[in-house]
Amino acid sequence: MELFPLYLTIKVSLTATVFAAAIGIVVALVMARRDFFGKNAVDALIMQPLVIPPTVLGYYLLTVFGRSSFLGRFLEDSLGVEIVFTWRGAVVAALVSSLPLFIKPARAAIEGVGKDLEDAARLLGKTEFQVLRTVTLPLAWRGIVAGGVMAFARATGEFGATLMVAGSIPGRTMTLPIAIYDAVQMGDNLTANILVLIITVFSFSVLYLVGLFTRGRF
Amino acid sequence: MSLEFNVKKRLDGFSLDVGLKLTDELMVLFGPSGAGKSLTLKMISGLVRPDEGFVDIGGGLGGGGAWGAGGAGGTRVFDSASGVNVPIRKRRTGYLFQDYALFPHMTVIENISYGINGLEAGRLREIVGELVRVMRLEGLEKRYPAELSGGQKQRTALARTLATGPRVLLLDEPFSALDYQVREKLRGDLKKIHGLFPITTILVTHDLEEAFMLGTRIAVINEGRIEQFSSREDVFYRPRTRNVARFVGTRNIFTGTVAGIDGPDVVIENPDIGRIRAPRPTGELKAGSEVSFCIRPEEIPVIRPERTLDAKVRVNLIEGEITETTGKGTTHTLFISTGKGGAGGAPIKVEVPNFVFKKLGLAKGKPIRVSLKKESVWVIL
Repeated sequence: MELFPLYLTIKVSLTATVFAAAIGIVVALVMARRDFFGKNAVDALIMQPLVIPPTVLGYYLLTVFGRSSFLGRFLEDSLGVEIVFTWRGAVVAALVSSLPLFIKPARAAIEGVGKDLEDAARLLGKTEFQVLRTVTLPLAWRGIVAGGVMAFARATGEFGATLMVAGSIPGRTMTLPIAIYDAVQMGDNLTANILVLIITVFSFSVLYLVGLFTRGRF
Repeated sequence: MSLEFNVKKRLDGFSLDVGLKLTDELMVLFGPSGAGKSLTLKMISGLVRPDEGFVDIGGGLGGGGAWGAGGAGGTRVFDSASGVNVPIRKRRTGYLFQDYALFPHMTVIENISYGINGLEAGRLREIVGELVRVMRLEGLEKRYPAELSGGQKQRTALARTLATGPRVLLLDEPFSALDYQVREKLRGDLKKIHGLFPITTILVTHDLEEAFMLGTRIAVINEGRIEQFSSREDVFYRPRTRNVARFVGTRNIFTGTVAGIDGPDVVIENPDIGRIRAPRPTGELKAGSEVSFCIRPEEIPVIRPERTLDAKVRVNLIEGEITETTGKGTTHTLFISTGKGGAGGAPIKVEVPNFVFKKLGLAKGKPIRVSLKKESVWVIL
């Protein structure tokens, strides 16, 4: 049995999770602590990947990153980075669809850190960055870690958008969920069963661990 | 050390305009909920930006922070006219939140050391150790806030604030979350601590007893304005407005007409009470003009029937009937009606200690004589 899909899925999901965490923390902080015009619209936009069909999301991403778009051409011609039909395309698809799952718990956790605590730190002479590092993030870290795990789990299961953006090139862009689909189509039940078992055990463990983890002391 | 400020802020349906000038005293900002007490503290500290005004901290009266950490002269930390707005972290205002805002993920020691920057380890340990001792936190150093009692939390928060050598101390209802007995003890502690660290301190409270116990001077705030700022005796016995009189528990506030002026006295006519004499207030007073006058319920003696009336109590002697009594634990309040003003007349409230209440057999429906002693009556123009 070909193990490449498993390896690719882990690589894509980890990369997507790192980006989701980096972008997600900033977005979660802004959404939790700032009020600005159109905040609700921004919130609705960020949460879109949770509700729109993955194929629609994939189509959007194709349009944005494809060779015919400005961004796609810029990335390819100036930076030499190809997105569509490469493993990076799978990362982009996984990132966009898992981002809301990171932001939701992270934002809730940051909002749960009382504003008085941050103000207390400011009054004790701390800069905004120090407040973030010593008060906000340490108190919100459970929610942030939970968000990271959820994002990672979502990334491993990403199917529709990935298929649209990265395709299903065996040995290059075929991730685990796509390999399962492929195996079933080919009538290769043994491979399908093994891959399904792997995904199931993994997903269950993730949710179980998140549950254990977020029962916090603070 | 000193503090001088004047801050203005408009919010929905509320406007605040407060200015005060303080030395290194413990001053109480006293007023009902929603009067703007906390908002005032927040504007001094920078947590809320005033629309207009200035805040000066320092004033060059004393020698810097509690730990000798500089403090040369006065600093303007906010000025709307010249655009000065020093960030919160550089103002060195100690702030004690109502619920203490201790960092739940840090131990007592970590909380106290949090705001101390750039000290070598030995000196840091010395300072923190000293604070732990003064605040009676020995043995609790390694505990987390969730494992502390209310009083211990409050002392930890105070230590954390003092550790940074603040130039002013702002205490936002520091005792409101505590049990009565703990509160009593901690009020005493606070007075002692202020003696040790004589930092300009504003204590916000709506508790009358607390205001009287702690404030050398009291500023009475109502609806965003200071109605009176004076010694606590003045606030209690010589209120400048009817509101102040009401807030400080002067439960007998009446309106009357000036019947005449007689040397140092003014004679006032009230339909329920009749004519009474009061010390003449400074300021213009004409016969026929309307004034308010007040007397605290605990300043009114009950005159026993057999007592001979000497000059002291003959003036302003009131005869009436007890229409109601309410017990308050250590005292009883009598509601006395003279019957002159009919059913609508406001009763005179008299507070008597329980032993007097029992000894004189006071009860609802009984006749009574009291004296609104001339020197206890205060006229509000």
